[in-house]
Amino acid sequence: MALPRLIFVTGKGGTGKSTIAAALALAFAQRGRCLLASLDGRASAAQMLDFGQGGESVARRTSKVPEPLTLDRRTELEAFIGRIVPMRAIANRMLRSRTFGYVTAAVPGLEAFLLMERMRTIAGDAALNNYHVVADAPASGNALEMLSVAGGVRGLAPLGVLNRIANGVEALLTDSRRFGVLVTATPDELSVLEALDIARRLDELHIAPIAMLLNCAVDSMFEASELEALRKLDGHHQLAVRRRELARRTDTARRRLKSAGVDLIELPMLFCAELHGRELSSLARRLGDTLLANEAAA
Amino acid sequence: MKPLLESILARRLVICVGPGGVGKTTSSAMFGLSAAGAGRAVDVMTIDPAPRLLDALGLDTASNAPQAVDLNGLAARRGGRMRAMRLDPKHTFDRIVASYAPSAVARDAILENRIYRNLSAALAGIADYMAIERLLELHEQGGADLIVLDTPPAAEAMEFLDAPRRLLEFLNSRAVTLLGASGSMLRGGISLVDLAARAVLSAFDRVTGLHLLRDVQGFVRGFDGMYPGFADRAARAQALLRDKSCIAIIVTTAEPGRSAQVRSFVDGLTATGVAIGAVLVNRVSPALPRPVGARRSDVASAIRRKLGANLADFRALKRREVGALAAIREIVPEGVPLIIAPDLGHEPRRLSDLIEIGRRLKPA
Repeated sequence: MALPRLIFVTGKGGTGKSTIAAALALAFAQRGRCLLASLDGRASAAQMLDFGQGGESVARRTSKVPEPLTLDRRTELEAFIGRIVPMRAIANRMLRSRTFGYVTAAVPGLEAFLLMERMRTIAGDAALNNYHVVADAPASGNALEMLSVAGGVRGLAPLGVLNRIANGVEALLTDSRRFGVLVTATPDELSVLEALDIARRLDELHIAPIAMLLNCAVDSMFEASELEALRKLDGHHQLAVRRRELARRTDTARRRLKSAGVDLIELPMLFCAELHGRELSSLARRLGDTLLANEAAA
Repeated sequence: MKPLLESILARRLVICVGPGGVGKTTSSAMFGLSAAGAGRAVDVMTIDPAPRLLDALGLDTASNAPQAVDLNGLAARRGGRMRAMRLDPKHTFDRIVASYAPSAVARDAILENRIYRNLSAALAGIADYMAIERLLELHEQGGADLIVLDTPPAAEAMEFLDAPRRLLEFLNSRAVTLLGASGSMLRGGISLVDLAARAVLSAFDRVTGLHLLRDVQGFVRGFDGMYPGFADRAARAQALLRDKSCIAIIVTTAEPGRSAQVRSFVDGLTATGVAIGAVLVNRVSPALPRPVGARRSDVASAIRRKLGANLADFRALKRREVGALAAIREIVPEGVPLIIAPDLGHEPRRLSDLIEIGRRLKPA
């Protein structure tokens, strides 16, 4: 099955969302055109592709890199007000007014909602022009707000512009050819619980998860029998025990994530002091081999 | 480390702040237990504890009521006790509204207002404000020698401690005037500019189909009469946070990118006037062994190779950690202790794990 046009990468904070989004976009870019969208207004994923100091940047290793795109909530709100309030002076005044700030703050998720509307137009363009978009989405809580906000807005606004937009956004989210979610986790227990929670919420929202991605997977390296023989090497014994503990957590996480009934893919823990172009390219290769194996070359 | 821990725990109020996923809740429980062990009556307020931590504390996962932690086997000094409670922002807000509403009708008008329902459920700021509210409540009840407050993971570092001021500002703002409040909330008259803005807002309301203005007005009017109560509480909460008996502990881990987050907490706390008691770096890995000598004949070469590979892997992680710790050290203001808590190699499963972390704290 082909991957959707827009892939929304989310998970608990600290599970490597930006790294994974950057690596996935890189894998796509090796095969055709790809946009790497950062939804936090900070382009943290795009920065991954261009580590300045100390290491080789991906951009210098290959010419086939994804195109960065930085989106943020405030800009989308401004664009929206500009559309519905035709006079620029009034639109600007409204945006500057603190009162308006309070009103928008009181409509939960208005800005997130407008960001989703932007996702819809981007996914439409990607389908039309045959490319893919990888979105480095916020951590679970905010991401779920983005994914469920359309339904809420429709409830608040039974008629009018926002109602029409809400219908469009919901149609995007439930169309598995245009939209899918990649849920990231690490062997850390809380991140696994959060990933399972996201999977449940996606199911309720009729949004298709692409896969659960277990990042930082560790292999045990030592057999239990070998551990016994290491007792005389105190420090090394402890280190081997730590290794096996990480591997055990990986196993538990794997088992739990599989229970969601969604494909599970894994990326290994990178034992390195800093992440450089070489490491990112190796992650991209792995993602290419698993997730993109069935993608037709563009 | 003992004097340092004791000076932290001699306060009346310890607030653990920090980014998500660094073990704030674990640290809060650790501080609470250490103080209870030393004979103090402690209340620990947590936000969203991991199931395993609740297990470790022997607490019911579902309940929000204060629960006594069983200190048996801890050899706590006389008078030592610990209660843990989870914060439910929505419930706290409802209770406060109920207690300040001038009448049952006013109370129901607020609780059923669409804006209020969305505000209290969806806005992160409200959860922050409620944590502070609950803190004030506990403090004023005066049942504990020490209150340890675990805070929600803050995206914008200091939103949390700033919450009382922001709520006051909202209630006291031109927005409120503009949207048609009356009586005690009205500050000055409505200007032409305000009238124009109001007309634009109504147009926005019609085009978007939200019909929000009516609800916003209802919300604001509903607060009429409650304003003095809220303002008074917010002012008391602010004073409490700035009091000498209150310190904040910035909790972090030694991972790349944390130093920038620590900096934003340092700046935020300094700006709000809350004293920084310490910066606590959680889950710092133990020192590494030296490589196995090539001449050791009692270790099979296959195993030796594995040990070498394993050591190389952990050395790389250690370099990452050392770099991150050095970056954090640069950020810590002068006179503020930087404390390291060990990684136990597993998540805390028992009370004794938390006690052990407390015992093994050391200056970085």
